[in-house]
Amino acid sequence: VRVRLWGVRGSVPVAEERMLRYGGNTSCVEVTLSDGTEIILDAGTGIRGLGAARASRGDGVHVLLTHLHLDHIQGLLFFSPFFDAQAHVEVWGPPGATLDLRERLARYLSAPLSPIEIRELPSRVTFRSIPSGDWRIGNAHVTARLVLHRGTTLGYRITEGDVSLCYLPDHEPALGASLETQPSQWISGHELARGASLLIHDGQYTANEYAGRRGWGHSSIEDALAFAHRANPNHLILSHHDPLHDDEHLDALGDAARSRWESLGHPRANLELAAEGRIVQL
Amino acid sequence: VSSSQQPLAQILARNLLASIALPGLLVDEEGALVFFNGAAGELIGRRFEEVGQLSREEWAVRFGPFGQNGEPIALDSLPLALTIREGRPAQGRFSIRTTAEDVEIDVSALPLVGEDGFHGALVAFWRPGEDAGQSG
Repeated sequence: VRVRLWGVRGSVPVAEERMLRYGGNTSCVEVTLSDGTEIILDAGTGIRGLGAARASRGDGVHVLLTHLHLDHIQGLLFFSPFFDAQAHVEVWGPPGATLDLRERLARYLSAPLSPIEIRELPSRVTFRSIPSGDWRIGNAHVTARLVLHRGTTLGYRITEGDVSLCYLPDHEPALGASLETQPSQWISGHELARGASLLIHDGQYTANEYAGRRGWGHSSIEDALAFAHRANPNHLILSHHDPLHDDEHLDALGDAARSRWESLGHPRANLELAAEGRIVQL
Repeated sequence: VSSSQQPLAQILARNLLASIALPGLLVDEEGALVFFNGAAGELIGRRFEEVGQLSREEWAVRFGPFGQNGEPIALDSLPLALTIREGRPAQGRFSIRTTAEDVEIDVSALPLVGEDGFHGALVAFWRPGEDAGQSG
């Protein structure tokens, strides 16, 4: 299983040169299974580059959305398979109380926000709402569970054989709970992340920033490490970088995070901050 | 992924209860007690960490409910039972047995209906005549 990061920035894309070593595109991760099946996690602006690099193959592609905040869907309109008449795109996402997934996405993919309407897309697009559940895509077993973030949000675990990826880019499990003492089954996302080969987790804020943004749906790096310590993945990538954090700042945060991770008993090398273009082979 | 993870609606409810001073408890889809907060613990005289999770029958034996004259009340007639059975809010007044005495309480039960279904109820309670949130 190959994992490639196409978008690691949180909230809004950034273009300043001092931020581009880690990357300016918002959330998007490409997962390629051993049989070549392609699963795309989130459709932030990173999906534009992914689509452009992807040759028209006329086969199916699965887009799994964690939630519908703009930084996770903004790239949809620029995803080339949407405009490929030979392509079949299956878009999976969280349920809504009143509107189905297609109707909710149409609020973005319609006037006045968009020149193109969903019904005009030449590709064959299927929309599927999934409150939680387990299903198969290609050789992989996919699990979706609702997790703690503002609005209905899913976390995913993709398992093929003995390797697994857990994806929790927008997640605030520490809201109202102690991640050190809360029983594991009462920690949002724990079951998804437990023992994963790779955990990609929200690490948007410093502790100081988080103090003023509690309840916004994101984690401090410290809380992300506390969550990961309980889940004990083999490899941890902190992502959804704050749009105010430049490369130099992220370097420092990464160093501090690795020291903390090491002090919790984990190999220093098994933690990294997400960087656009990074490829991890599981 | 096993099914031992609590539903998000219950996790949120527990986190909320753990963060407020209003006595409250959380029950699952079967009516089993899965959590009560510190304020509720003060009112009944036991901490959740001492009591732990209890089935509906077990917590009825420990805490009641009882009517105004101390007679047991059928569990199915409680507001909570109505909430579990019909998935709608319900209110009522009855007594519970604490470590010190029988205490009359007002109860409001709120169904936890998430995007992925029904997950039990959040129950707030307080002594009649006291401001909610001030009794703990």
